[in-house]
Amino acid sequence: MMGRPTATKTILEARASLLSGLRSFFEARQSLEVDVPAIAKAPASDPWLDSFTVSDPAGFHVGYLLTSPETYLKRLLSEYQCPIHAIGKAYRANEEGSEHAIEFTMLEWYRPTSIRPFQAMVSEIQDLIETLTECGRPEVIAYKDVFEATYGLNPHQATVDDLVGFGSDLLGAKAASSLDLDSLLNVLFATEIEPHLTNHIVIDFPAIQSALARADLDGADRVAKRAELYISGSEIANGYHELTDAVEQAARFDEDNRRRESLLRPVVPRDDALIDALTSGLPDSYGVALGVDRLLKVVTQSKTLSECMTFTGHL
Amino acid sequence: MASFSTNEFKSGLKVLIDGDPCTIVENEFVKPGKGQAFNRVKIKNLKTGRVVEKTFKSGDSVEAADVIDLDMEFLYADGEFYHFMMTDGSFEQHAADAKAVGDASKWLKEQETYIITLFNGAPLAVTPPNHIELEVVETDPGLKGDTAQGGSKPATLSTGAVVNVPLFIEIGEVLRVDTRTGDYVSRATKK
Repeated sequence: MMGRPTATKTILEARASLLSGLRSFFEARQSLEVDVPAIAKAPASDPWLDSFTVSDPAGFHVGYLLTSPETYLKRLLSEYQCPIHAIGKAYRANEEGSEHAIEFTMLEWYRPTSIRPFQAMVSEIQDLIETLTECGRPEVIAYKDVFEATYGLNPHQATVDDLVGFGSDLLGAKAASSLDLDSLLNVLFATEIEPHLTNHIVIDFPAIQSALARADLDGADRVAKRAELYISGSEIANGYHELTDAVEQAARFDEDNRRRESLLRPVVPRDDALIDALTSGLPDSYGVALGVDRLLKVVTQSKTLSECMTFTGHL
Repeated sequence: MASFSTNEFKSGLKVLIDGDPCTIVENEFVKPGKGQAFNRVKIKNLKTGRVVEKTFKSGDSVEAADVIDLDMEFLYADGEFYHFMMTDGSFEQHAADAKAVGDASKWLKEQETYIITLFNGAPLAVTPPNHIELEVVETDPGLKGDTAQGGSKPATLSTGAVVNVPLFIEIGEVLRVDTRTGDYVSRATKK
């Protein structure tokens, strides 16, 4: 029989129990569950995120399938200024592999707070993992410390010239020389550091990897106020102390499109609805996105992500 | 020349890396949430047998290697080359050198069928069948009364291979041998 489910009954039960556990966690913390659209006029601008386009039967462009509910959640946050969370499907074109699927389940939450928002975010991620898994409390480490331990360089001061040698060891000189600083940092981090992170929250990323996070000065280094959770070598969640400056945000969107152009990747419409929300006022807040399927893999101690997906290989 | 993009990578795919024919052993898609995607690939060099790890930018292409596995019957060795013939009825012959034959040389038996890996039309490797039947040409006489103890002794087979056999095996017997491990399996039924 074709098209049978991938997941066993046991996995389905574990998924149901994880989803209800997540909902109880946020209910107990007075967060409002919201249900947002999956299609938007403007997709994420990140140069390396590919969004599916949606067309009507006549072939007319309708919008983009969202890679995360961020734009809608921030518009809600700006309007109602209260803690919110959403659990739903997110879509990423061209992402298929043992740890990736083009359609997956994402939990994303935002919490307005002006009292040490970044620390509050890190400890809320720790609480969530401690409550819902048997992994214990994740250890917090600085990006700079793990990077220095592996490569002997301060990643916040490193240049393309400093890193291209390490890149050549992995990719060969020709391919490495075509990479910019962001991609070099990514490939070095993903290949030599990520696999060794067992239950860790990495904080303070290079400023160049800010995306929609704030960038702050930490001593002499400019760092992105980003926190990423890794369990058993895979990325589970990604949190930002959110950028609330509309002008800065608009500039980053334009910069993303310039990078897309130089990388010969499609330029995307600017998310003006999000800029408007920031202009009318986003409270000081943090936001976290978490891959539910990957967390399910951790909780059920499964070997592969595909056995945790309800259906795989169905397309 | 044909080429494969990283999204076509799968185990068993034959590609050309730095001019050498290689086969993909394992392919892993690596992508940080916000970053560029890469493929981490374990590659076996078919010439040297060495397995190395390489990283590719997702979307990059690699040239395909003209590598094909064919069934051929062993004919004879002339001191320099080992001659094989296609079993498809074409009678097409190929000569493999000692490097291509490698360790398979001690399992070469006339009229037996082998897998010959051709690279750009020339033999690159020879793989014997997993099990092969060969005659014992030399071994110490069996020690009577000691069969219950198990125990083993070396025996030289018609191809020159030396395998450990049970003590009761005698010269002239035909044995079934596992070519992957070089282990004695059983006595072959007499033909």
